[in-house]
Amino acid sequence: MPERVETDGETRYRFLGVEATRREAVALALGVVALFAIPDVTRLSDSLQLSVIHQGLLFGFAAVGLNLLLRHTKLTSFGHAAFFGTGAYATAVLAKYAGLQSVGLLLLGAIAAATVMAALVGALSLRHTGLYFALLTLAFGQLLYAIALGQSALGGSDGMPIRPGPANQPLLLGTTFEPAVYQILTYYLTVVVILVGLFVMYRITQSPFRNALDAIGQERTRARFIGLPVRRYVWAAFVISGVYGGVAGGLYAVVRQYVRPEGTLFFLRSGDILFMAILGGFRTLVGPLIGGVVLIFLQDVGQDVTQYYEFLTGVVLLVLVYGFPRGIVGSLRSGGVVSTRLRQLRREPSAVADWARSAGRTAERKAVESLSSLRIILFGVD
Amino acid sequence: MAGTLETALVQTLNGVQFGFILFMIASGLTVILGILDVLNLAHGELFSIGAYAGIGVFGFVIGVVGPPSGVLGGVVFVLAVLVSVLLTAALLLPVGTVFEALFLRAIYDRDQVYQLVLTFALLLILLDVKKFVWGNTSLRTDAVYSAINSIPTSELVGLNYPTYNVFVILVGIAVVAGLFWFFDRTKTGRIVRATAIDREMATAIGVSTDRVFTLVFALGAFLAGFAGAMAVPPTAATLGMGTNPLVLSFVVIVIGGLGSLRGAFVGALLVGVIRSWMITLYPPGEIAAPFAIMALILLVKPEGLFGTWGETA
Repeated sequence: MPERVETDGETRYRFLGVEATRREAVALALGVVALFAIPDVTRLSDSLQLSVIHQGLLFGFAAVGLNLLLRHTKLTSFGHAAFFGTGAYATAVLAKYAGLQSVGLLLLGAIAAATVMAALVGALSLRHTGLYFALLTLAFGQLLYAIALGQSALGGSDGMPIRPGPANQPLLLGTTFEPAVYQILTYYLTVVVILVGLFVMYRITQSPFRNALDAIGQERTRARFIGLPVRRYVWAAFVISGVYGGVAGGLYAVVRQYVRPEGTLFFLRSGDILFMAILGGFRTLVGPLIGGVVLIFLQDVGQDVTQYYEFLTGVVLLVLVYGFPRGIVGSLRSGGVVSTRLRQLRREPSAVADWARSAGRTAERKAVESLSSLRIILFGVD
Repeated sequence: MAGTLETALVQTLNGVQFGFILFMIASGLTVILGILDVLNLAHGELFSIGAYAGIGVFGFVIGVVGPPSGVLGGVVFVLAVLVSVLLTAALLLPVGTVFEALFLRAIYDRDQVYQLVLTFALLLILLDVKKFVWGNTSLRTDAVYSAINSIPTSELVGLNYPTYNVFVILVGIAVVAGLFWFFDRTKTGRIVRATAIDREMATAIGVSTDRVFTLVFALGAFLAGFAGAMAVPPTAATLGMGTNPLVLSFVVIVIGGLGSLRGAFVGALLVGVIRSWMITLYPPGEIAAPFAIMALILLVKPEGLFGTWGETA
């Protein structure tokens, strides 16, 4: 049962090594309940689809892994689809050529393949930081995409099915199920994996290892001077984050029972994964997961409404970059933009007029600024 | 034996031709990276917009000039194609200016990840703008390719090689020479290089870095559009055509060294030629070969062949 602890005059609750304020504890409990209730909720409405939310959670889980790098070491990986795809393709290859049927073994294979791949890509690309690192990860990701596209053994652009054995289905607990039941059972499997993954990530963020990564992210040279093995730590973080991608990819393959290079390895997927972390709030633990569900859901809705859904995604991104750089969770949590505004509004409803006025002033100032810089660009400074 | 030699020569020329196209894309990207410290993920889209717009401009200009006849007609036609390419590239100047002045300028002082997300957002937006303007099908213009090929060049020395590719190589040499001249000899080019070496010092001696940034970005867009228009006649313009050149430009930048123009030149030719040799030697290696070179360079010389840019062009 949760025990109460007092730290810095605040009441916190500790349960299974997770420490949280009352607010956070309630949010956490609600979140877990919501995760388990989703298959029932989606039955209520046709516009909600379990498969969409499921896919969102899987990509979001990969984003949780990427977030370890982004949040602490300040390294932006633009090739995380490589590990997602490695996991997915490892599952497919094991199912087709090795005849493995058990979901557990398939996932273990995905983890092993993603670990090796992350270790390799990390060793080559972590010699650099900043944009150079982003560029290298993107290049390696595209290389894997090109390989999957070019090898007929990997199915080329058609992809590969994951339908091993006489039942044409991976085995859960050694048995086969009806497709509908299989979908729901794999969803619960995903939920369990995600909860375990989040817990592990939480423990990592409470460990000295995280402090070391933070130090490295802030100032590499100093971190090396105080004796941190910078290369090795960053490499370890990279491999861990790659494994998260591999697990997500392996689950994706088991759930979809089909992998295509376009859907798993293409560099737009890497962009999606990075975007999920930013959208949900990359300074938070669960933000990327929520960002994943929201993004995949938006893309799915967008695809139904218009064929120009990439444009929609782009505009959402622009709004995010300029308006809400801290993401959904970052803006919602106490002290964020939204809660500050709401408190203001409750105290003084006329604040809306102030906001409108200040927004107008900002727009006016920006317009004047951009006009003058345009004039300077065209005619020079006189 | 003569057959093998001829194939080798043709493949090398193909590689050089592709290398020059790649250089036009990568040079803009590397200069933007070296000076603005921004990795422009939308650069491939600028290239493909150049290709799409180029088809339109070619159609218009060729309608005016008509098919080439005789020596004079041939010269006029080649000049007309050059003018169309320049016109297409000029169309991208305002696009680059707006990108830099409107979108990028606001977030230079923020985390680098936001710049990546921003250029990624612009990539997605441009992707659908292309779909909206030019539709989902691929477009092609055969008139330019076949008309220029009807002018004999390589046949004169007894080799059967498309004249258009010779044309691309010659224009590529001119672009390389022009860029080096610009950065080495002109005042504006030196100002740009000074900004690359030390931004604050450049400001102190009266350089408007804002203007340099906009100029560099617009120049990059111009070069990408130029490459797009040059590359499209033998093939077709498709929605996804921007991805491969973008990623190969990354490879070129890593091989040549961040922000180095000379590095981009050497890297682009290296990638182009080796890729093209692979097509005859070992076809499945075509895609992997550039990355293999990149990995090798990373292991041996992590800062690239020519290191950072500034002191020399």
